[in-house]
Amino acid sequence: MRWIYFVLIVVVVAAANLIAQDVYLKIPADPPTKNPLEGDADAITAGMGAYRVRCADCHGMDARGIRGPDITQVWARGRTDAALFRSIRNGVPNTEMPAHPAPRTSDLDIWRILAYVKTISPATGTAPGSGNAASGEHVFATTCIACHRIGDRGGNLGPDLSRIGAARARAAMARQIRGTMGSFKTGYEPVTLTTPNGQEIRGVKKNEDLFSVQVMDTRERIQGYLREDMRSVSDEKKSAMPVFGPDTLSDAELDDLLSYLESLQGTTAAPSGAR
Amino acid sequence: MFRPTSARVAIAVFGAAACMATLAAQQSVPPPLVTAQDLLSGLPSDGSRWLMFGGGYTNQRHSPLTQITPENVNRLVPQWVFQTDTAGRFETTPLLRDNVLYVTGPLNVAWAIDARTGRQIWQYKRELPPTGSLTACCGLVNRGFGVLGDRLFMTTLDAHLLSLNMKTGAVVWDTTLEDYSKGYASTIAPLVVKDKVIVGVAGGEYGIRGFIDAYDAKTGDRAWRFYTIPGPGEPGNDTWTGDSWQRGGAGVWVTGAYDPELNLLYYGIGNPGPDYHSESRTGDNLYSDSLVALDADTGRPRWHYQFTPHDLHDWDATEVPILADLTIAGQPRKVVMFANRNGFFYTLDRTNGKLIVGKPYVVTTWAKEIGTDGRPVILPGYVPDEKGSLTCPDPTGATNFWPASYDPAQHLFFVNAREVCATFYAWKQEYVPGERYTGGAGQRTNSPDNRAWGALRAIDPTTGERKWEFPYISPSTSGVLTTASGLAFTGDAEGNFLAIDSHTGKLLWHFQMGSALHGTSPITYMLDGRQQILVPSGTTLTAWGLSDIARVPSTR
Ligand code: HEC
Ligand code: HEC
Repeated sequence: MRWIYFVLIVVVVAAANLIAQDVYLKIPADPPTKNPLEGDADAITAGMGAYRVRCADCHGMDARGIRGPDITQVWARGRTDAALFRSIRNGVPNTEMPAHPAPRTSDLDIWRILAYVKTISPATGTAPGSGNAASGEHVFATTCIACHRIGDRGGNLGPDLSRIGAARARAAMARQIRGTMGSFKTGYEPVTLTTPNGQEIRGVKKNEDLFSVQVMDTRERIQGYLREDMRSVSDEKKSAMPVFGPDTLSDAELDDLLSYLESLQGTTAAPSGAR
Repeated sequence: MFRPTSARVAIAVFGAAACMATLAAQQSVPPPLVTAQDLLSGLPSDGSRWLMFGGGYTNQRHSPLTQITPENVNRLVPQWVFQTDTAGRFETTPLLRDNVLYVTGPLNVAWAIDARTGRQIWQYKRELPPTGSLTACCGLVNRGFGVLGDRLFMTTLDAHLLSLNMKTGAVVWDTTLEDYSKGYASTIAPLVVKDKVIVGVAGGEYGIRGFIDAYDAKTGDRAWRFYTIPGPGEPGNDTWTGDSWQRGGAGVWVTGAYDPELNLLYYGIGNPGPDYHSESRTGDNLYSDSLVALDADTGRPRWHYQFTPHDLHDWDATEVPILADLTIAGQPRKVVMFANRNGFFYTLDRTNGKLIVGKPYVVTTWAKEIGTDGRPVILPGYVPDEKGSLTCPDPTGATNFWPASYDPAQHLFFVNAREVCATFYAWKQEYVPGERYTGGAGQRTNSPDNRAWGALRAIDPTTGERKWEFPYISPSTSGVLTTASGLAFTGDAEGNFLAIDSHTGKLLWHFQMGSALHGTSPITYMLDGRQQILVPSGTTLTAWGLSDIARVPSTR
């Protein structure tokens, strides 16, 4: 039987070699730490076009953020050119930020885009909201946590907010809280089902087709229903998240809350600080 | 159901002996599997074949088969499922000949499959350049084979045309259409006419100069080329400013129709490039967004009709043209019907390209109407700029390359239509060979008060009026197959395969396939006495039939 071990060892070593080689081949040469095209007029013009075609849908024409974050603030927050280059090239895993692989997107394409975004970014960050994050955390723990997870705590009816500070612009979060968003996040559209005996099931829509709908109800039960089994299935106009107007949440409290949300960058896998 | 092994062996031995006996007796070459005459006769009433993209040269996608009816369609059961094991999804129209299916898939993989069992007979896989260097704008897909004699024809993502041996999948010849690194790709199902294979190239977003080519089916030698953008000195070149014609796009990626009597090919031509920026190419930009009628022997244009002169919204006329003979205002008319991406439905005289009907079939905000001169009457806000302007339909359009169908008995045209608007932006962009060249972008609107949705619509081509619609919760990108028994088979974006009464629009039966029918429709044929519906969706092909109808194995 010994020869089997021998063969196994050979195979394992060969595989390890292959993997090692593969990894070696895939590690790109480190990009320069500083954008070589910064300030170059032609690069900026080309970068503007490329930015608008490939990035504006999520980050906005002014790069102040729609579905993605405000990226005019990244330098002010201390991100380096090289780190931004890597985020654009590789995407941000498990978020909507896509990878832009070579050769479709060349190194120069990325530098051009960054050169352009730099021109529309303020040299110093917009004053970080004057709010007090610690007070904001308190507001969150009393008003919001029932529906939102941060790390290993909180409810599931609303989206996980563990890294919302990296993913959304402050202004977009303010719109969400004040109830002026104007659209629903996919997977969180509000819906009400009425059973034949008149009972109502309220929740958010995880999926649907012509014949069925899959929901999480307000008690966090996930369940699929056939439309034909229901008296009605109606899309609601108002978000499943309550509106927090100035009467329930003052401008100062909102400011605190936003500062707290902005601090949520998802860096620790299971933050325990909130405890 | 296993037979005893000994019996199987006996059958195998007997079969081999019988086969050798016939071989010895014949010695002569067997007749070709597909003749030019077979292609001319379209979908036969015995259901024994499906030999081209649209079923026949009219592109009607309407089968004469009647075994499956509105009454029994709810008894359909799956016969088998074939899975590709490749990344990417089907957009193909499979072909059937002699109980064997010929199917192209994503990444230029293709198969011959036993239609009785779904078992692979052979597989072909093209060695492609690294996928990152391919420029196909919208997926590494393929829309199907063409066939003649014992040869299949397939276009490739690196802009080649291949001829494969139908019996083995081996490459017979391999012709380069154009240099893929300059933005060319090909995804179109070839159309075989007489002894020629007709194909086109994609690349309207990459600054190509589009063309339609004809190749000799035997040798792969090019017989003619029609540039979809006229060169200097040719009529129409003056509809482009400066040298913009050199990279004006106008790709061809959806199979055309053919009228054997007029000997004319009808092809829809893609968008001008850059897609959204007006100043880069002032003028009508012929033959972008047009239907062209070409002499099938020479490729010379007989007439053209431009749906969207100087398009600024990426509204390729890459929908499937459908031919029919109609009576309009008491007159027999030879027409070509076209549900366009720009939101209008057109019925044209196919002998001369004159407009008969031009009516919106979705909400359109860019043109008031189609004037009697055949040109759209443009509304303000047509030209997008850096600030953006809201226009309906969106860049994907009122419909797109997914094939429509036409029932000649009911005189009805069936199309999956989209109700979607977008904010269009435009800016100046320099051209770099092989790179995306769009000069703008469209941002789709889908808010509670401007919801994106869609419907299967039945349109009377003599008036453009809608007879019925079947609404979906979101826009479908599926094609439509109709049958003489009064059925329309299609799919929604959520993965449901649907059977609809084609007289009324009423839903009769549905099945969740797990992935949408995208860009194609089912095909149908007879197999051992039972009508089959073959559904390409996602990475699977599923054959459906009525299990309570007895199989009558053909013993040929
Ligand atoms: C489909 C939406 C989408 C598109 C398209 C998109 N982004 Fe993003 N982007 C995001 C989201 C969401 C994030 C936040 C990710 C997270 O949660 O950390 C992000 C994050 C970023 C960041 C911050 C990353 C960091 O390291 O700090 C940068 C910079 C960025 N995007 C640039 C771009 C550029 C440049 C493009 C175009 C080439 C682009 N994005 C295209 C959605 C998108
Ligand atoms: C009753 C449950 C509920 C409560 C309480 C609630 N939310 Fe939400 N939240 C939701 C839901 C559901 C969504 C998605 C809603 C939508 O798209 O309409 C959401 C969305 C959000 C988003 C956007 C997330 C993203 O990925 O874009 C933010 C930020 C947010 N909530 C913050 C808060 C804050 C701060 C509070 C407390 C002041 C709060 N929420 C209270 C249910 C809730």
